[in-house]
Amino acid sequence: MRLKKITSLPPLSDRAWLSAPHPTLPLLATCSSNKTVQISSLRTFTPLSTIEGGHKRSIRSVAWKPNTGPQDNPESVLATGSFDATAGIWRRHEGQHEEHIHSHDHDDEYGRYGEEEEEEEEWRFAVVLDGHESEVKSVAWSAGGSFLATCSRDKSVWVWEEMDDDNFETIAVLQEHTQDVKCVKWHPEEELLASSSYDDTIRLYKEDVDDWACCAVLTGHTSTVWDIDFEKPKPSHGSAFSRLVSCSDDLTVRIWTRTSSSDSSSFINKPPSILRTNSIEEQWTETACLPAAHTRTIYSVSWCSSQPGRIVSCGGDGKLAVYEEFEVEAHEHGEKKKEWRIVAEVGGAHGVCEVNNVCWAKRWDKGKRFEGEDLVISTGDDGVVSFWELALE
Amino acid sequence: SIGPTAEPNDPFSTGNVSDPLSSGEDEDSDGDDFDVEQIDEQEIYDLISTISDPEHPLSLGELAVVNLPHIKVTDNQDRSVMSHVLVEITPTITHCSLATVIGLGIRVRLEQALPPRFRLDVRIREGTHSTADQVNKQLNDKERVAAACENESLMAVLRKMLETCK
Repeated sequence: MRLKKITSLPPLSDRAWLSAPHPTLPLLATCSSNKTVQISSLRTFTPLSTIEGGHKRSIRSVAWKPNTGPQDNPESVLATGSFDATAGIWRRHEGQHEEHIHSHDHDDEYGRYGEEEEEEEEWRFAVVLDGHESEVKSVAWSAGGSFLATCSRDKSVWVWEEMDDDNFETIAVLQEHTQDVKCVKWHPEEELLASSSYDDTIRLYKEDVDDWACCAVLTGHTSTVWDIDFEKPKPSHGSAFSRLVSCSDDLTVRIWTRTSSSDSSSFINKPPSILRTNSIEEQWTETACLPAAHTRTIYSVSWCSSQPGRIVSCGGDGKLAVYEEFEVEAHEHGEKKKEWRIVAEVGGAHGVCEVNNVCWAKRWDKGKRFEGEDLVISTGDDGVVSFWELALE
Repeated sequence: SIGPTAEPNDPFSTGNVSDPLSSGEDEDSDGDDFDVEQIDEQEIYDLISTISDPEHPLSLGELAVVNLPHIKVTDNQDRSVMSHVLVEITPTITHCSLATVIGLGIRVRLEQALPPRFRLDVRIREGTHSTADQVNKQLNDKERVAAACENESLMAVLRKMLETCK
């Protein structure tokens, strides 16, 4: 396989930190050190609008709230996390999009989305979430959109809940990490939160009666854990099965598998209940370390949602690497075992610059080769966002 | 700043003339001399040795915080490929509380002066500082460095240190 560049967006004037695809619309949000978020079309790969004026310093992270609005009044909601120690909530009505969303299969509609887009309502900076003492490094919405998590160099992870319109309340301040918290991610189905840190650990949290608490600590990395991502659940695996991928300054990408949880009795290898002092405790075990692909810090990792067992990573070495999980015959007893292999790599993905973020996104442009195709989106220090397809050859 | 002057001991330096080895393959060249000029240890030393110490009226070169033998440059002939600079600093005392600020000053100076193809590693020279691992981790965390560069009071200190470089 080969990663083939489809195209790139025009470069931003500064380092671009992260790009987040909209959960249902062909939109991409890219945040950068120029204190803005650029919204682009994934149908035409062109910039549509720029959100600015809400933050005093770099916007490090951006996340779309999963779509929750009523069908007749759809709204896009963005959360931003900034080095100015605040998080922001931005809103825009997407009412006029409906027609185009439903007609996206017609080629003659191609392009119209982008034209209409610019005439639409402006983004409104709705709420400032104050509380962190230093830079906010990452923001993430829970699967149902009920909760927003933020994390900071102040070592804490906060969970916010929107009580009513634009009224966010802090429902938890989690101070488990001993250093800078780099990333927060929610489980794609459960209200289970993960954070990764400069203290080399990953921590998981969930609600225990009426309080949020740490339910697992994942140790093994030997330097800063920059990014984490949960695997999208597959029906064949059962609801309890879950995996998390992490990447680190230690130049490794590791897979962690949940081996027991108090929520389910269906696990094998369940430890004796006497060992459980905490009712919410979960056991997570490192089950794989992916083949080495990078020579400098690995900044971002993403699990493909359409293709089981496929991961992409990027780093300070300017490289993108795609890994796939294969089932192989073990030598003894003819047992099957799983093995990860690098299936595609591209060096100098952003010229001589570092790649800060990589993610998979549904493909919407006219070059789409098959239903359910995902493309890779990379975001770099050159201010460029590039789109890649996985070519078979 | 990096001038196009040829160092007598640098066989690759060709002054204002484009490096014949890289001509024709440098797609990203915008006509800037930096893109075609080989960068060596002496050049890095010249860039950072004139930085002022934050608490002494002396430069990092004069205080031997920065030393030529502790600089390593791997400058790739192919300008479309990353190159590398490693600077190992020797704090004046093993518990120097300003080691991070000095390291940050060196990073900022080099980031501003060098072409973007260079990846920088600024580290404390082994055995010269009591919390070297912590300082090294901070200095090479790009997110922390980026955030520090948006901190006005810290940047005021750094600007003062870099004043003597102009």
